Amino acid sequence: MTTGTNSSRKAMGTAALLALAAVLPLAITEPSQQNFLILMGAQMGVAWNIVGGYAGQVSLGHAVFYGIGAYTSTMLLTVLGLTPWIGALAGGLLASVFALAMGWPCFRLKGHYFAMATIAVAEIMQILVTNSDFLEGAVGLYLPMDRSGWGWLIFLSKLPYYYVILGLLVLTVLVSWAIERSHIGYYFRAIKDEPEAARALGVSLTRYKLIALSVSAFLTALGGSFYAQKEMFIDPGSVFAGTISIKIALIAILGGVGRLTGPVLGAVILITIEEYSRTLFGSTGSGTDMIIYAAMIILVAVFSPSGVLGLLGDLHRHLGRHLPGAKPAEAKTSAKEIRP
Amino acid sequence: MTADILIQVLVSGLLIGLIYALVAVGLTLIFGVMDIVNFAHGEFLMLGMYASFWAFALFAIDPIVALPLTALLLFAVGVIVYQTVIRRILKAPMLSQIFATFGLMILLRGLAQFFWKPDHRLIPHSLVSGNIALGPVQFGLPQFVAALGAVGVTGALWMFLHRTRLGTALEATAIDREAATLMGIDGQKMFALAWGIGAACAGLAGGLIATFFPIFPEVGSNFILIAFVVVVLGGFGSVTGAFLAGIIVGLIEVLGGFLVGPEYKTAIVLSLLLVVLLVRPRGLLGKA
Amino acid sequence: MRFAAAITEPTRTPTRRQTIKRMLAAAALLTTTALTGIGIGAAPAHAEDEIRIGVIYPLTGAAASTGVELKAAAELAAAIVNKEIPAPPGLVAGIGLPNLKGAKIKLIFGDHQGNPQVGATEAERLITSEKVVALTGAYFSNVTATASQVAERYGVPFLNGESSSASLTQRKFKWFFRTTPHDDLFVGNFFTFLGDMEKKTGDKLRTVALFNENTLWGNETTKLQVKLAEEQKFTIAEKILYPAKTTQMTSEVQRIKAAAPAVIMQSSYLGDAILSMKTYKELGFSPKMLLANDAGFNDSEFLKTMGKDGEFVISREVWALDQAERNPLIKQVNDLMQKRSGVNFNGNSARAFTGIAVLADALDRAGSTRPDAIREALQKTDIPASGLIMPWKGVKFDANGQNELGTGIIVQVQGGQYVTVWPFDVATKPVVYPMPAWDGR
Repeated sequence: MTTGTNSSRKAMGTAALLALAAVLPLAITEPSQQNFLILMGAQMGVAWNIVGGYAGQVSLGHAVFYGIGAYTSTMLLTVLGLTPWIGALAGGLLASVFALAMGWPCFRLKGHYFAMATIAVAEIMQILVTNSDFLEGAVGLYLPMDRSGWGWLIFLSKLPYYYVILGLLVLTVLVSWAIERSHIGYYFRAIKDEPEAARALGVSLTRYKLIALSVSAFLTALGGSFYAQKEMFIDPGSVFAGTISIKIALIAILGGVGRLTGPVLGAVILITIEEYSRTLFGSTGSGTDMIIYAAMIILVAVFSPSGVLGLLGDLHRHLGRHLPGAKPAEAKTSAKEIRP
Repeated sequence: MTADILIQVLVSGLLIGLIYALVAVGLTLIFGVMDIVNFAHGEFLMLGMYASFWAFALFAIDPIVALPLTALLLFAVGVIVYQTVIRRILKAPMLSQIFATFGLMILLRGLAQFFWKPDHRLIPHSLVSGNIALGPVQFGLPQFVAALGAVGVTGALWMFLHRTRLGTALEATAIDREAATLMGIDGQKMFALAWGIGAACAGLAGGLIATFFPIFPEVGSNFILIAFVVVVLGGFGSVTGAFLAGIIVGLIEVLGGFLVGPEYKTAIVLSLLLVVLLVRPRGLLGKA
Repeated sequence: MRFAAAITEPTRTPTRRQTIKRMLAAAALLTTTALTGIGIGAAPAHAEDEIRIGVIYPLTGAAASTGVELKAAAELAAAIVNKEIPAPPGLVAGIGLPNLKGAKIKLIFGDHQGNPQVGATEAERLITSEKVVALTGAYFSNVTATASQVAERYGVPFLNGESSSASLTQRKFKWFFRTTPHDDLFVGNFFTFLGDMEKKTGDKLRTVALFNENTLWGNETTKLQVKLAEEQKFTIAEKILYPAKTTQMTSEVQRIKAAAPAVIMQSSYLGDAILSMKTYKELGFSPKMLLANDAGFNDSEFLKTMGKDGEFVISREVWALDQAERNPLIKQVNDLMQKRSGVNFNGNSARAFTGIAVLADALDRAGSTRPDAIREALQKTDIPASGLIMPWKGVKFDANGQNELGTGIIVQVQGGQYVTVWPFDVATKPVVYPMPAWDGR
């Protein structure tokens, strides 16, 4: 049943999905229900997944790219009056360059040591920005509210933001998808699963890890620029924070790392839990929202260790045994064994 | 004058460094035995502080006197956490384990706020209070006793790991889990023991600093980054490494903050960590 | 060998069945992605004569204890407005809302967790699904920045009672109002106070150490302090911006001690305030004067936890119980707070109370819950000093929405109480100066 020409079908599918998501706001007119925190979370998670999932290099410092994106586009806008369309690209490029500079030494480290090094880099960067007079330090930067419209990517209503972040998510998913099915994607997974064999076959581990990190950094920085455009105020504590790094990783982990749709699913679940628990219980001031949020996280970790997609896979496999005509081999997809 | 200040700064750094070491040995022990990074370790410290606080507020037991009680209580907490959560994720990928302990961190903070309110608390009159002056050098008795306690506990842990049957079994599990199992060591029991001891160490650190540090549900977040830095610098899994690294981090932090500027003190410590990792990718004394 | 398979089959593509399955899965996902917003914060049906006001505070996280305190004060104000508690005579708070046919106000609380993005999200939720007619909060200046920006977009009045960052009212917002004075005034007061003290004591207080926490608030304060110090010929002996949530402050205190200033000007939140006092004592360092910038030093828990060690700290304030001597309302309302929550007001909670009171007054005068009517009423606000529980000259907003009539006072901890020591004409006790050394207490 293998066909080599299904990319057009995939493109059609993507287009259909895009159309579906694009008309949704017409059905849901209540602004607070056009909840694109989920879209923002999904975008970051998909971007993280490129390096943390496919290439298996667990970064817990992605806030550094997010922050670089937010600060670059905002500085270019407020100081030079440059449109964020260009500013965000500049931020992405800067983040990529930074990723190369940081990855070059850090990729010598393995596992937990690498994760810790990324935390250290992100924290150092936050401290430097906090103390930089040029970047207004801890005071932060305001975006001008008097400029609005598509040219400045600043809107008074919420809907345009919805489409911008949806577009950004689609772009990120497309990049991720393209990587997944290209030879680069195979190399990434090789680095993750069989690094020694990959090296023996002449795959430059560092080179492909650097590619993964810089692409991921570029996309994460775009997300950071979007944050600045949406909230119109940034300070080091809100875009370089360690909690952002952790959350980005959690989103991907929750859904299932190394899968295209994993982080999207993760964002849906995590952000929904987060928003619901805060909305319903946050106003009590007794910490109930945190308890519920945390309990859900632990339950997911305990009962579906390979992410929700892994759980679905298990379920499918379990059911598959009892369904006529099901092919166990096809459904067999565990967390470690990732197939395109 | 300048020499006096320098000595003073070094003494302060040494005192806080020993506390860092005590917080970190528990973390590194857990990692060494089962390769799990415990994000909720700062919360064990927080629970230790609250245990001391309530022993003082309800039964008028001084935090220093209550230390054995605090240790016992936190040992139990560690074992319970292991049995209810960690045991179930032993075979999960590293990322899911991070996820679980991160959830645990939030959960314990939330529970502390729920039961004990978000207030800041302090133990007003401990047995240990006041200052000691050695010539020009001054330091607080609470800090001194806490540092002394940290040395004692770390020393006792080292003795336990190297001089007792049970401790050797724990070390053996850390070095090679499968071989240890073949030798008849019950892995599950060892894991539970590691969590118990790890939590007890953090709890003891909490009890020791409760005499001079404010107590509130989020207090763990102040210490967790430094604790990680100490563990990585010393080498994941190495108790001796964590002890040395704790002292180094304390000294560098206070000295760097004094010389360069306090706003950069954490950055200096983190830069040191990166430099050490580049030269020694497994930390100072990490196992291969 | 998974890897070998991957290498030898580089052009392997998914089967058609897999593709379809994955497309279906993705479709389901994206649909849920966009749909999950539904129901989040869906507003319950509410009575027509109920006027909903959104209140955003840090109810979890590091500042939760302050947030809970602010919440209690806001609830007291609402109870008074709704006549659940008899109002003390003279208090201006639109009591009973007679122009709105005696409608009741209802406070809807949101938790921003100290996070600016969460603050903005909560503001939007309160406006669009809870249908609040006005917003108040958010204590943290950086959260007020993002939350008020949402209110500005939706055209809903945002009344801020307790954020002191000067830049908030320099944004030329139409819908933003602030009752509290901001840092320009507070920092100015510091230097006026030091000048007055020099005249009074004959001592030189010209060398100051700046010791401020390193976020928006501490940073802006530092900049103002540096500027004013230069203008008024003060010498900055040491300038320290320390990272919040630190584990030790010995390096900071050592530097200040080495610089030997006459005065320390310090801005800290509660945890750091306690830790720094402990460190001063540990290192046996007592400056002639410790001049604190409110916040942690004036938190209800500061004295509770510090006990005797908190004595003689001088701090800027906007409220003090001893001002009841001059304004009986202060004591009456404070008694209500005591009865209800078992604590006295402090500068933060008194400002939170005043925020709700000013908002309710405007609502009543507007006689309508239309945003533009409320905004217009807010602009016309003119509350005399006698109608407030603050020692201000009144409440009246300028074109930027800043209250022009706010003033600050300076208090000192004496005998376990905050007593007003400046301006001298409203002081109830003289300043204890210099601060006694730790071993001389």
